[in-house]
Amino acid sequence: MSLALIAALPFLGALLPGLMIRGGRDAAAWVTGAVSALALLLLMTHAPAVFRGEIVQTRIDWLPTLGLNVTFFLDGLGFLFAGLILGIGLLIILYARFYLSKDDPMGQFYAYLLLFQGAMVGIVLSDNVLLLLVFWELTSLSSFLLIGYWKHLPEGRQGARMALAVTGMGGLAMIAGMLILGDIVGSYDLTVILQNRAIIQASPLYLPALLLILLGAFTKSAQFPFHFWLPHAMAAPTPVSAYLHSATMVKAGLFLMARLWPVLSGTPEWFYIVATTGLITMLVGAKIALFKDDLKALLAFSTVSHLGLITFLLGLGTRIGAVAAVFHILNHATFKAALFMTAGIVDHSAHTRDIGRLGGLRSLMPVTFTIALIAALSMAGIPPLNGFLSKEMMLEEAAHTVWAGSAWFLPVLATIGALFSAAYSFRYIAHVFLGPKRTDYPHEPHDPGIGLWVAPAFLTVLVVLIGAFPALIAGPLVAITSGAVTGGALPDYTLKLWHGVTPALFMSLIAVVGGAAILALHRPLARLWNITPRPEAKAIFDALVGGLARAALAFTDRLHNGALSRYLAVMALVTTLAGFAAFFSGTHAPGLRVTLPLSPVPVLGWILLMAASLALVVYYHQRLLALVLVGVVGLIVSIGFVYLSAPDLALTQISVEVVSVLLMLLALNFLPRDTARDSPPLRRLRDLVIAGAAGLGTGSLIYAIMTRDFSTISDFHVANALPGAGGHNIVNVIIVDFRAFDTYGEIIVLGIAALVIYALTEALLGGPAGRRLAEWKRAEAVAGDRHPLLLVVVGRLMLPIVLVVGIDLFLRGHNAPGGGFIAGLVVAIALLLQYMASGFAWAEQRRRYNYHGMIGFGILLATLTGLGSWIAGVPFLTSSFGYFRIPPFEKFELATAMILDLGVFLTVVGAVMLALWSLSRLARRTGETLNTEPMDVRLTKPQPEPEGE
Amino acid sequence: MTLVSEIAISVLLVIGGVFGLVGSYGLLKLPDTMSRLHAPTKASTLGIGGVLLASILHFALIEQKYTVEEILVTIFLFITAPISTHFLAKAWLHRNARPEDLPETGTDCGWIGYDLAEPKEAEGTESD
Repeated sequence: MSLALIAALPFLGALLPGLMIRGGRDAAAWVTGAVSALALLLLMTHAPAVFRGEIVQTRIDWLPTLGLNVTFFLDGLGFLFAGLILGIGLLIILYARFYLSKDDPMGQFYAYLLLFQGAMVGIVLSDNVLLLLVFWELTSLSSFLLIGYWKHLPEGRQGARMALAVTGMGGLAMIAGMLILGDIVGSYDLTVILQNRAIIQASPLYLPALLLILLGAFTKSAQFPFHFWLPHAMAAPTPVSAYLHSATMVKAGLFLMARLWPVLSGTPEWFYIVATTGLITMLVGAKIALFKDDLKALLAFSTVSHLGLITFLLGLGTRIGAVAAVFHILNHATFKAALFMTAGIVDHSAHTRDIGRLGGLRSLMPVTFTIALIAALSMAGIPPLNGFLSKEMMLEEAAHTVWAGSAWFLPVLATIGALFSAAYSFRYIAHVFLGPKRTDYPHEPHDPGIGLWVAPAFLTVLVVLIGAFPALIAGPLVAITSGAVTGGALPDYTLKLWHGVTPALFMSLIAVVGGAAILALHRPLARLWNITPRPEAKAIFDALVGGLARAALAFTDRLHNGALSRYLAVMALVTTLAGFAAFFSGTHAPGLRVTLPLSPVPVLGWILLMAASLALVVYYHQRLLALVLVGVVGLIVSIGFVYLSAPDLALTQISVEVVSVLLMLLALNFLPRDTARDSPPLRRLRDLVIAGAAGLGTGSLIYAIMTRDFSTISDFHVANALPGAGGHNIVNVIIVDFRAFDTYGEIIVLGIAALVIYALTEALLGGPAGRRLAEWKRAEAVAGDRHPLLLVVVGRLMLPIVLVVGIDLFLRGHNAPGGGFIAGLVVAIALLLQYMASGFAWAEQRRRYNYHGMIGFGILLATLTGLGSWIAGVPFLTSSFGYFRIPPFEKFELATAMILDLGVFLTVVGAVMLALWSLSRLARRTGETLNTEPMDVRLTKPQPEPEGE
Repeated sequence: MTLVSEIAISVLLVIGGVFGLVGSYGLLKLPDTMSRLHAPTKASTLGIGGVLLASILHFALIEQKYTVEEILVTIFLFITAPISTHFLAKAWLHRNARPEDLPETGTDCGWIGYDLAEPKEAEGTESD
């Protein structure tokens, strides 16, 4: 449970900063820090067990049939990463409190940060690969929010989009890879997968799985050729860069490679793909970093380079390589986070991150200089700092590794990588802090308050301590982590500064001296770099994405371009073709069921239906007439339902018909009297053919079904309605009991639809359409007597009668035709009549209940009915019923389904009335006047004025 | 008894049918909207009224059941038919007739669809 809580805490805590920001920025920072600290504390309670080499597990079944369970486990690797995420997270929270300016919405920032933190902790603690994938995608989404935090900056938005596109795409590939992996092993539990190295590597699907998973890991960890998104993500505020791009998100890919190291590594495929990619990334990143003038870009590419280094170490597939990788993950997190923070401090203080405009800050910002110096020297690999230790291990490994038969290839390239790395680290110190003081800083630089520098200072203390006493400070942690990565016995290694005179020492020496030399030659080299043409990643990416978007749009436009006729044609055509394909690929024999004799009444109805439909085709130009014809069709269909003994359907159909004709009539008012134009004749002919084929096809299908004997689920419903649900009305029992969950979903959809109508009119009124409405001229003069006495009086007379009918329909619904839906429509019609008779504003003033609230209450009621079933220990929305008797009445039935039905009733009334209200808002915008009297004829004599004229 | 009942019911059905037919014929034949309004009102009141009476008699005399549904139907019909006719007439007046073509109302207020956009001095004297 505790592990799940660690992962859940940041998510739950993400609600707090937004609330606490009202208490000030400090309150928000404190509460965010408290959440992280609590999670870290919980993690630390497991430290003794982890250091004893135990694996802590938590298991909660979620969707066991899918193999998706909430299972977490904590071993050395998870512990290291969770510790880094939460620990550096705490420092970042502190740093961000002082970094962000007053105008930045800090509550939002901390909320995003905690979401991200939770997702990262989830990744490193997940035992289930599907759960891991969920968290993986969550990191992509939350990092999108963080990178794009400064929404007003186009770079921020573009960088966020690019990061999301690249890492999201990789995540999708990884889903496929993980599914294959789970399929090979037969379990989605990591602990099980990790036991099955032999099965996985023997499987023919090993290579595809490996490639897909590596695609996910490489995109996340910005490995070549996906490294381009990381520098663009630097548009984020510096705390985000320091957190995401030093310690956490980019390390997620490394984490995954380390996690799956026991089962995936050790094959030539793994070695050549991973180690080579890592090496290329290390070189490319380091080379670009050397020539970047933006401080954060320099650090971003240096991060790319170091991530490449770690990938390279993991790719070697040797146990000692894994140890070195783990050690460098830890070291890189400490010095890189500190470096990012110092870059942020310089930016904050000098108001520029451009190296060309900096220099000589040493004496102006002594504290920042000290921190940056130590961290950068560590990055360069200078003893006795921690960067030196892990870089030595890397060089030592490279010196002993043969690549494609060549013994010198890897050592040489690794040395060049280290050389560039030393060069850009020196440059960070020399070009920013050393040199003469300048007079043209955009803002006079000075050391910031302790709030900003204490976090990086803490990290540099770690840098020094780990460097000086590696075995003491980092030894146990590296040991348990490496043990978890390699999944077995540890190789023979010691963490110490002096290993004697080894090849690595010479390589290190070459790197440092060469780095210094490159720094000396930087000016001419940079000139050379600037004139060499090189691919611009962003332009390529934009072109690629733009092309894809255009292709997708072109394809989509062919299917539906917003014209309803196009959409219907595609839909009808595809369905008809599918039907024809099925028909011609199967066998067919005519149905043998005896048809009923044709009697005159249905024939008459059929003729009317046909006539109305055909007339609609002819007269659709005249919208009012078309609406009347639609009404005729609806009425005949209702009569058809009555004739076929389906009173429920008939009642529903007729009330829906009335409501929709009334609402459409109101909407029609705002449309032009005639349709704008016809399609060309050929297209109409084509549409005729499509529509005719679809209609005839559907007709034949129904005929084929009706001429055969078939059994449906209806038999079950008929048999079980009374004994199972206590209702005689099978239709209603289906709605509120057998398929209650469907109904529940449907009323939610209905409620959403009504709210969308409301929102659409709201948006419409605010836009150009609203202005057009305000200038709208009526086609005809406004009639006098808009609220005629006759209608008003009769409407009042009808209201109580109809309400009684509605209540009756509702109450009897379970046993006789009726139910919440029909009752809701009937009541809505009665109310509509009042609105029509006396005008909207007049009726509106007499309304007691808010329609939004009514919809919400209806859905809430239905939800509570469902939850009530849980209390009774049965599945959601299971209904129960009983028979009661209150003398002197007859025995009657009460069912919990009736409460659900009440929810349906309220939602229907609310939805219809909200639609009416939205339409009337349009009418109001056109300048329709408000009446204060219920009708235009005043029934009482007006009081004579005291001073008569 | 049964014979008498059946004759009575049949007569009512025939009367209802005849009025329905006359109403429909009038709808086709009468020259203008205002005259045509008269035809369906006959069909809906007398025509359907006859059928409803026949139904009441049928249930009461032949099946020995007393029903009130027909009476409710009658009431609703008698309430709603005038309203729809009223609206048809109003719509026609609004679209076709000019105020000056209309005859005097004989009171100090004018015709309802023209004069009463705002009820300024409406006396509310109802003529019906």
